[in-house]
Amino acid sequence: MSDETGNLSLDFLVGFTVFLLAFIWVAAMVSGIMVNLQSSHIDYDAVAYRTGVILVEDPGWPASPSWELYPDSQKYEISRFGLAVSKDTPGLLSQDKINRFFCTSFVYPDDYQSRVIFGDYSYRFNISVTDLTSGRQQSVGDVLPNDEYGYIRRLAKIKIDSNATIGPSYYIAHSYNNTGTPSDFNVTQHQFSILINGTKLLGDQTNPAYQIDPNIEPIMINLTNLNSTLFPGVYPPVTPPARINLTGIKVYVQHGNTLSLANTWNTLYIDGSSTASAPPHRVLDNISLMIDPYNFSIMSAGYSNVYFNLSFNLTDSSITPIAYKGSFLNNTLSSPFDYNYNGANVTQPQLDDAVVEVAVW
Amino acid sequence: MNDRGQLYTIEGVAAGLIMLLTAYMIVGATTIYTPGDAHISDMQLEVLGSDALTIMDTPANSTVAESPLRQMIENDSYGGGQFKSMFMNYTNASGYGPVHNIQFSANYSYVVPGQPTPASIAINSSRNLTGGEHAVRVTKWVIVSKQLPGDTNVENRAVLVEVLLWRD
Repeated sequence: MSDETGNLSLDFLVGFTVFLLAFIWVAAMVSGIMVNLQSSHIDYDAVAYRTGVILVEDPGWPASPSWELYPDSQKYEISRFGLAVSKDTPGLLSQDKINRFFCTSFVYPDDYQSRVIFGDYSYRFNISVTDLTSGRQQSVGDVLPNDEYGYIRRLAKIKIDSNATIGPSYYIAHSYNNTGTPSDFNVTQHQFSILINGTKLLGDQTNPAYQIDPNIEPIMINLTNLNSTLFPGVYPPVTPPARINLTGIKVYVQHGNTLSLANTWNTLYIDGSSTASAPPHRVLDNISLMIDPYNFSIMSAGYSNVYFNLSFNLTDSSITPIAYKGSFLNNTLSSPFDYNYNGANVTQPQLDDAVVEVAVW
Repeated sequence: MNDRGQLYTIEGVAAGLIMLLTAYMIVGATTIYTPGDAHISDMQLEVLGSDALTIMDTPANSTVAESPLRQMIENDSYGGGQFKSMFMNYTNASGYGPVHNIQFSANYSYVVPGQPTPASIAINSSRNLTGGEHAVRVTKWVIVSKQLPGDTNVENRAVLVEVLLWRD
């Protein structure tokens, strides 16, 4: 065959195949150039930045009641962690939210990934909050790698909750120890009441940084040196130590001029114990009454004045205790202990400097 | 048969491979450096600086009426290193993360009554600006009760505290 016009040569076929292969390969690699655009380094920095903003400027979700109040059994209802006190106060962190955030009931990384890191890629990360004022450092996550990782550092203030600690000199100055008249020695039942005036607490201080709001943050009231307030009565003439028994705590809410019983209160720490005890309970010297916002807000709904009424009775130390008459912590004749913005009564909320650091890789 | 000008199959394949290798190397070596990359490290500094100014302008509790930053400006007490130590302490504070060597230069400016341009007063700096630094700028409006130069008496004035921050 001599006429070869119109034939496709083998050279052309091979050359075209190589060209096509090259074209496909290059086309496939173009997306690789774009990978550089969202390189790990930049992506990690962006995720760290986003996480930092969520932690420092967002109060989290659910907001009411706030997520940190959800018990472990309901932790799946928490959809976003955020440490800010409220959405209007970026950079002001809640001590309670920080403690809850670092609580061991949340598992690294899954619980944190879905609530504060977000994204489909499973990042490794380390989040830490350092209180520069107290030096306390809390963190969660992996050990930082030696090579590159995304990082952000935020400076913030931590709002340290208010509390009140009162002792003998305070009891005497405010006539909480009614030893005044002889008839007071004839009492075996004593009442001590604490007033939480919601209207004044929310009205006298409107800046959320310094406001005491028992509906969103806990209140701790420490009654110390109770034993020294106990004075023997005239009858029966036993020598102390007598027994101080906390028989119960009743919570009254005020509506207009009428007081109504709202509930009984069972969260208190007696004599330095770290576990909560419920009354009736024997007291040696100290009581710490913990008023948590979750139960308080349920109880105080719609009422401004809330009274916590602690009932004590005194007995002697015999096996079958006999009621004991004496003078003790009792403010039925004076006035309730007012939890307010007076620095002499209550240690006011304090703002600590803090560093929030997020590392992602 | 005339073989001149022919590309043989094996040479074609070899040439193709060389082309591919070249393309592969070029694509692999290319990093597209976008403005976004520089923006990230600037943003980290900017966030840190503005956080530092915010907490310096926040009183620690309700009994302290004036923030440290406000007190410094009102009492002209920033010069003796007070602003510097506080600001450097905040910006270089670190828990688990890396330590950054951050430098700054700060001043505040205010409007002089009757003057078209605002006046500026230097606060402090950790290093003199040479002009070669890649600095970011953070600002904070602070209300002070002070008789600024040009004022006739003490009054509440807004001054703009301006800080340039850069990494060493």
